[in-house]
Amino acid sequence: MLDETPHYTISVEVNGITYTEKVPAQMTLLQFLRQKLYLTGAKEGCGVGECGACTVLLDGRAVDACLVLAVEADEASVRTVEGEGRDGELTLLQRAFIEHGAVQCGFCTSGILLSAQGLLESNPHPDREEIIEAISGNLCRCTGYVQILEAIEAVARNGEELG
Amino acid sequence: MKPFQYRKPLSLAEALEALEEENTRILAGGSDLLVEMREGKSHPERIVDVKAIPELACFSIGEDGIIIGGRVTLRQIAESALLQKRCPLLVDAARTVATPQVRNRATLVGNLCTASPAADMAPPLFVLGGVVVVASKEGEQNIPIQSFFTGPKKNCLQPGQLVLRLEIPLLSPGRGVFLKKARVRGHDLATINLAGWVNPRDGAMRVCIGACGPTPVLLAGGDELFRGASGREKLIDGLATLAQAQIAPIDDLRASAAYRRGLVAVFLRRMTRVLFPEEGGWPSA
Repeated sequence: MLDETPHYTISVEVNGITYTEKVPAQMTLLQFLRQKLYLTGAKEGCGVGECGACTVLLDGRAVDACLVLAVEADEASVRTVEGEGRDGELTLLQRAFIEHGAVQCGFCTSGILLSAQGLLESNPHPDREEIIEAISGNLCRCTGYVQILEAIEAVARNGEELG
Repeated sequence: MKPFQYRKPLSLAEALEALEEENTRILAGGSDLLVEMREGKSHPERIVDVKAIPELACFSIGEDGIIIGGRVTLRQIAESALLQKRCPLLVDAARTVATPQVRNRATLVGNLCTASPAADMAPPLFVLGGVVVVASKEGEQNIPIQSFFTGPKKNCLQPGQLVLRLEIPLLSPGRGVFLKKARVRGHDLATINLAGWVNPRDGAMRVCIGACGPTPVLLAGGDELFRGASGREKLIDGLATLAQAQIAPIDDLRASAAYRRGLVAVFLRRMTRVLFPEEGGWPSA
């Protein structure tokens, strides 16, 4: 056993703001976001990369923040649901989720928004199969997924103006 | 998770130095290691993050073979248009592993190093003759993938060794197929998986079955059977006999041994029909 917990200084950009913080080696990116930055949109569901409630974009790619160490995010750029809408304006995806009733309890919602956002930014007009594949790492126990698929499909039809 | 020392070497030499220390684990994508640590199954005192080592970034698909470095993620493999063209078997398998979030981090080499009997990338690499290139302070060593897997979740790596890359030698013209049964897509390991590969010109046929033994099982006797087969149904029967004698499935939380044996029979039939869509053209018909 180590006598002391090793700490490391990381510099990470989160939602456009650069933070320099000292973190213990074993802290996950999810713990860093929630406990250091108080960004609680990403949730811990399973903690082992199954449920996707902790999904964030790491350098533009959807990842489970529970399976990334905070130290691994040094020099990286992270996006969480808190940074998606700006100045009181919701994103197209967020508006579509509301219009299609794609949110019930909300626990999975922030993760699914980021998975869908990651998909639409690399593939603005995905078909239904591609959408299903992109959110296959996000579990939702309320909606049955149909409304979520419809919301993402609605945005995919107008992919250019993704905001 | 218990505390540990974290290092992210920028060179191979520095990494090999760091790996000399006791109770050290290698971190690439983290989708296996961090789960193990969070579940209390492993408590390394030192972690060496290999994602900044330049030698591990190589990813090339050329006339003389395929090279996949230790840092190459399953997403890179799943999305490679060139690989899709040259070796669709690997792409098909990579697309079935876990979830998009996991594939964005997890590496092919990591999938092999974890050495699960159900590793999805193993059967394709067994039938393609993959070679694991390992570095240590003593130099480089090439290990055929069959020797790399030594038991359930055990590989042949010694302390101080690091996998640099996976190499697939020159592919002779052939065709392959990957099949997998999982209880919940993306959220469970394979109940069984299987890769088949055939090169009718050379009379070569290889089949590898995963999650039916302590390591993936590369069927012995496939070539002879194929060369002697006089029709598709005969081949299916022959493969089933070979497979049932060589696999050793167990009962576990995913399926019973008997169910796995049944699935193997179904998969061999399905595989053969994909590899040979036509009834005719048999070597000894």
